[in-house]
Amino acid sequence: MHSWEMPKPAQSGQGADVDIAAALYERSGAAAYDVSAEQFAAIVDEILRKYLLQNSVQNSAQNLAANSSHVSAEQKTAFCAGLRLEELALARACAAGNERAWQDFINRYRQKLHSMALHITRDGAHAAELADSLFADLYGVNARDGVRRSKLVFYTGRGSLEGWLRTVMAQEFINRYRKQKRTVSLEEQTEEGVQFAAAVPEPACTSDKLLEAATDEALAELSSEDRFTLASYYLDGRTLAEIASTLGLHESSISRRLERLATGLRKRILAGLRMQGLSHAQATEALATDVRDIELNLRSRLTQDSGAKPFPGRKVPAQDAGDGSLD
Amino acid sequence: MTEVPKIVYDRLRAALPEQTHPDPDLLAAFAEQALSATERDAVLQHLALCGDCREVVALSLPAADMVPPQTAPQTADVDVRTTVSRAGAPAPHKLSFAWPNLRWAALAAGVVVAAAALLLHPGKLNQATLPSVNPQVATTAPPASGSQIASSSVPSSVTSSAPPSSITSSPTEQLAVMAKTDEAQPKSELRLSKKLNAGQVLTPSPQAESGILLADNNKDSGQADKLSATPPASAGAFHYDARSSRAASETVEASGAAAAVTTEPSTENALVARNNAPGNDAPAIEKAKPALQEKQADEEEQKTPAAAVPGPVRLQARNVMSAATLATTAKQSLAPHVTWAIKAGVLQRSLDSGQSWQDALHADHPLLCYASHDVDVWTGGQAGTLFHSADNGVTWVQVQPSIKARQLSSDITHIELRNIEVRNNELRNNELRGNLRDDARRAEIIVSTSNNEIWSSADDGKTWDRK
Repeated sequence: MHSWEMPKPAQSGQGADVDIAAALYERSGAAAYDVSAEQFAAIVDEILRKYLLQNSVQNSAQNLAANSSHVSAEQKTAFCAGLRLEELALARACAAGNERAWQDFINRYRQKLHSMALHITRDGAHAAELADSLFADLYGVNARDGVRRSKLVFYTGRGSLEGWLRTVMAQEFINRYRKQKRTVSLEEQTEEGVQFAAAVPEPACTSDKLLEAATDEALAELSSEDRFTLASYYLDGRTLAEIASTLGLHESSISRRLERLATGLRKRILAGLRMQGLSHAQATEALATDVRDIELNLRSRLTQDSGAKPFPGRKVPAQDAGDGSLD
Repeated sequence: MTEVPKIVYDRLRAALPEQTHPDPDLLAAFAEQALSATERDAVLQHLALCGDCREVVALSLPAADMVPPQTAPQTADVDVRTTVSRAGAPAPHKLSFAWPNLRWAALAAGVVVAAAALLLHPGKLNQATLPSVNPQVATTAPPASGSQIASSSVPSSVTSSAPPSSITSSPTEQLAVMAKTDEAQPKSELRLSKKLNAGQVLTPSPQAESGILLADNNKDSGQADKLSATPPASAGAFHYDARSSRAASETVEASGAAAAVTTEPSTENALVARNNAPGNDAPAIEKAKPALQEKQADEEEQKTPAAAVPGPVRLQARNVMSAATLATTAKQSLAPHVTWAIKAGVLQRSLDSGQSWQDALHADHPLLCYASHDVDVWTGGQAGTLFHSADNGVTWVQVQPSIKARQLSSDITHIELRNIEVRNNELRNNELRGNLRDDARRAEIIVSTSNNEIWSSADDGKTWDRK
């Protein structure tokens, strides 16, 4: 139990100021988990260095301004005020192996972990597996250099602990899902006709360079939020509600924004093409030839796949079902 | 939605994100709108290009926005309410607070209360537990206590002069007459047993029910086929068993003075409404409406005497609340699907399962957490800020937790409502369960603070304990 790592107390003077640290320590309630003021100050210092000073380095590099150590006390205080101190103390105390902290953590989050996993996987068995595996990671089952390493040590209190757990779980799920996809058996591949399928052509490069350049240019002009919205909706197929929730906006504003973006993009691409010397008619044609209904495209691709199926005579019921949907 | 040219898909997909992905901390904080503008921009810039991170963010959107976990009651007595309300009127998927919808809620509540009042005569399911309840009634009340309770709680004009002909006018009076029957035989115990299944609980018309009761009252109680009068020594109390045929079905049981139900104005109104409902909907709705509006206040009024006055009066008050409870639950089960979230220190409410959000509560200090159970919502924040709404966030009351003049001033970081299930497990073996049902319904609130104190209150924040 004592073999967990606890950060060393801050040695340098770059950490949070002593009075700020004391106030933060009191607010965090870390004392209840046997985390000393020094240890907590070290944790906060580590977080400050990770986010505030790093940003400051980037900013100062950009602005050619003074060096990174010039982070004002106000900035630090404001930054620390936004930290989830109590949850941070809990997470770090858990990482340090404090029994009481673990008890609190389990009381608060054990059940939630399972419901989160169910929400992410939408499958009871996988959910239990995912939640248990994350819990093991959080507990620090894996030893590194003889020291148990709890994943909770990476929590920095920027968002809620619950949100962090969800994000970590989502990452784990995606990694796991990808791994599983990679280890699909040969038999399955054969059944699916993957082995024999024609290589999926890379994004149909029917568009010429001009069109690509014009599109890139139009996309580059977008703000990152606009581009995120566009990619989430059109590429990832997220719902308006999901995008709205992620951006903290109302659904209807996302809808309006997408309308504006779609029409704006078309105009800009056309304008870009005309700037390249194409006439209006040519530009419209260039864009129109590439405007395909995505479903049509998908259908043609699927038809191509089904044509390349290996043993058309040996259909199994499962395959029939699959074929039905494809045809 | 307007389609974008396919080339846009291709170019969006072709974008190469940076090699370093934001850590989960940043992504979580991003989704919770807790990042500074610069950081948010940086994360957005990455997300705009990185499909993997977008997927992580999308997957980690809180499930609570979709389905609040607290709204999944599973205990047997909760099933009673859900089934009762389901049979009363099917709950539409989407409801709003608009009057046309509330009207149906009011009607349904009326139906449920009427059904409940007909079923909720004091009684116990299990004969084995009967003796344990009866002596209690006997010891806490003088021999004539049954009649006292009845007569004190029913309007005097009804109890004093209720002739047989007036019995048909409303269930209220039936109850009064039943109480009179009891009064006439103070040393007898009237035990009513009736087998019902889930469908039967609600399908019989009130008239049919009245008929049975009337018949029972008019006849010698010993002769009725489902009614038997036995003369034990204990003071009179009604025992009415609603026994379902399926294990998963509902059992409604209550003990004490049934006539006490009539002291509850909302119940009374609802009973009248129920009686009229099959014949004439409109008056029923009109009458049920005030019943609903008054329900909350009445419930509040009833809590205080229940806590302060011991003995039979307390039992009586509890029974009143049991009936009111059913009304409350009926309303809750038909209430809109409200979901809650905290964003940037503000409590937000969504009436459409997270599609749109509106600010529900701004407090002086940023709010940090919330918990809800049916229409009960609690939210807490920095510096001991604690608010409670008993009506799904329409009105809020600030609660200042304090123990012996020591006020809670640290940040409230977590709120938990211990629900019915937990408390009922504790009560399951309790002989007086019938009497404690309404206490069990009310969730206990447990508040965790930033300095690791745990405060709890079992009476909606009036008194607090520290653990």
